[in-house]
Amino acid sequence: MRSTFASLETARRALFAQQAALQTTAHNIANANTPGYSRQRVNFSTTLPYATPGFNNPVTAGQMGTGVEAGTVQRIRRDFLDIQYRGENTKYGYWGARSQALSKMENILKEPSANGLSKAFTRFWESLEDLSNNPENSGTRATVRQRGIALANTFRYLSNSLEQVRGDIQNQLEVSVKEVNALADQINSLNQQISQVEPHGYLANDLYDKRDLLVDKLSNLVNVEVTPVDSGGEALDIAEGRYTIKIVSDTGEKITLVDGKNLRAHHLEVAFAQDDGSATFTLNDKVINGSVSGKLQGLKEANNTDYPEMLDHLDTMASDFVAAFNSVQESGYGLNGETGYQFFEIQTNGGEQRVAQSVKVVLDDDELDHIAASNDGSAGDGGNAIDLADVITGSIELDGVNTTVKDYKNYYESVIGSMAVEAQEADRLSESSLILRQSAEKRRQSVSGVSIDEEMVNLIKFQHAYNAAGRMVTVVDETLNRIINQMGLVGR
Amino acid sequence: MRVTQSMLTTSFLRNLSDSYQRLAKYQNQLATGKKITRPSDDPVVATLGMEYRTNLSHVEQYQRNLSTAYKWMDSSEDALKEATSVMQRVYELTVQASNGTYDASQREDVATEIGQLKKQMASIANTRVAGKYIFNGTDTKGTTVTVNGTETKAKPVDLSAGIRVSGNSDAVTIEVNDGIEVRVNVNPTEVFTSELFQGLTDLQGDLKNGASPETIGGYLSDIKAQLDNIVSERAELGARYDRVEMVEKRLGSQKVIASQILSDNEDVDLEKVIMNLKIQESVHRAALATGARIMQPTLMDFLR
Repeated sequence: MRSTFASLETARRALFAQQAALQTTAHNIANANTPGYSRQRVNFSTTLPYATPGFNNPVTAGQMGTGVEAGTVQRIRRDFLDIQYRGENTKYGYWGARSQALSKMENILKEPSANGLSKAFTRFWESLEDLSNNPENSGTRATVRQRGIALANTFRYLSNSLEQVRGDIQNQLEVSVKEVNALADQINSLNQQISQVEPHGYLANDLYDKRDLLVDKLSNLVNVEVTPVDSGGEALDIAEGRYTIKIVSDTGEKITLVDGKNLRAHHLEVAFAQDDGSATFTLNDKVINGSVSGKLQGLKEANNTDYPEMLDHLDTMASDFVAAFNSVQESGYGLNGETGYQFFEIQTNGGEQRVAQSVKVVLDDDELDHIAASNDGSAGDGGNAIDLADVITGSIELDGVNTTVKDYKNYYESVIGSMAVEAQEADRLSESSLILRQSAEKRRQSVSGVSIDEEMVNLIKFQHAYNAAGRMVTVVDETLNRIINQMGLVGR
Repeated sequence: MRVTQSMLTTSFLRNLSDSYQRLAKYQNQLATGKKITRPSDDPVVATLGMEYRTNLSHVEQYQRNLSTAYKWMDSSEDALKEATSVMQRVYELTVQASNGTYDASQREDVATEIGQLKKQMASIANTRVAGKYIFNGTDTKGTTVTVNGTETKAKPVDLSAGIRVSGNSDAVTIEVNDGIEVRVNVNPTEVFTSELFQGLTDLQGDLKNGASPETIGGYLSDIKAQLDNIVSERAELGARYDRVEMVEKRLGSQKVIASQILSDNEDVDLEKVIMNLKIQESVHRAALATGARIMQPTLMDFLR
């Protein structure tokens, strides 16, 4: 026999469930613009129907529904879209960092332009040609000296500036490593909160969102692998558990950054070698040998490869050029008929300074006569000046770096060319990985994003259901009123 | 695919930013007139640009060298021309003095004039151009002709005693193209020889001493030989001058080609960029207009 009041209970359940849905809709609308937020939905389910089979079950026409319950509140999200997004975000982090570092290098080298190293070489060459035309003229000699100083200064400026930017990159590396550690700590603390919520059978949707947002940020810095660990207790099947996060290198090393099982976060460390300043990452006392991808790897490569290589190129050019130029200069004769004077010198302070940073012109402004324009000591002979000019344009042998190049300028062109190709590749790949990241983000938004219109429709839908449930109460009230107050009054 | 407002606004903003980026690129190209502003825009254009710039500056430098070469050769030619006319005058005077009709006072006058002509030869030999003695090989700071061991500079010289003629015959060369050097001075030892000055001195002395017309006539062949030397040096100089002129022409066309290649390589095609800018401008306007239309309405405007 069914209860007279059953329908009231059904209506009450409906009111509560619709109210929960309205509340969730309000939450969605409120967070429509919250970064990382995934829209939530109330999973409605019917309550146990009446009657259930049993030893003394009542005889009814059939099972009768008893209403609705708000089962779980779940966020709508797809794991594989997160994995796609993070993969692209890692690539974007890597190429973005390299593209930035290389573009800074391009800014310093300023080629092709009127004030790069190439131009300094050309202007020095011009002054030497002028000297060969007018070897007796102290004006042309002064110009040679000044242009020589300008060339030495250009070497010094380029090398110093590159080294300075490399220092900035090392700072950036340190800051980025701190960022990784801060993110790891925050994820760990969210893991702890989640591990307290889930065993009670709740879904910590908003905490999940926060945690995923942090993992997104982390994926920009390094390549990470996320493995969920069950929270235990009464945790639901759809609960996401705690995250164990490992930094994965291209050589297959997997080192734990956030330990979801023991609820601990480890700290990444970066160390710079004493001798050449190259960076190494250490995590859990393990040195990471392979590429960790992401921004960290981009900065590491800029620091360990791109900048040192360019600095080495400058050093090679500077030392070889100075040696070749001086040997021609020493073999010729100055205006005073003397020979054996040097033009440039390299003073590295016992190897403390880079070669390119220590190029100087030795001649004082009262030693202009020492510039060896002459082959035989006679004043009007500019033969050695042409030989000096030929040092710039003549063929060279750099110590095994590249023997196919014609001259210094050619060598420098090839250096600039290969840097430009790398920078272009980095630009292009950072752009394309950005587009791929955006499209992954789009797909993710398509699933998880809040649509205001949709929420408005839901709002009306749930409002109608709520209103109808309210009307149901009125109807039951009226039927009860009929039974209680108006029945059994025959003949009164 | 489910599309939400925030997706629309995000992609609208992204597209707008892309559009601005393209506008900025065209603006930059128009403002600088260059296709690229950094090597990574186009590595090939950049490295070629460096190479072409070098070529162009080399050509320009060689053109400057040419003007020095011309200065040398023009001055040498002028001086040799003068020397030729001096020697011709000497020849005329000698012919006149050797026919035996001149009396002692007339021969004295001839001797005086020859003395003057000798001084003029010496001063021609000591010609200076821009502070350089051009008839002294590579020793451009020393004089060609010195008397009694003292430097006479460009002053007329009394050659009656102790003439010393410098023997520096080294070539002064100027690079006029990659690897091409041209000699710009003449060989002074072929022109301003000590025999020449000695001969003139002897002639002057014989005229004064009243030597026989045959003796005077005997000088004619020597004078002729000296004159021939000067003429052959002038001829050689003229031939070199031709070479330099040829090089100049070649440099001229090289410069045109080099600047053209440089320009083709990195200068923008203005019409094309302006067209692109116009197209991009209308795309940009369209993007703004659609964005404004799509973002505004929501379902709320219609729910009452």
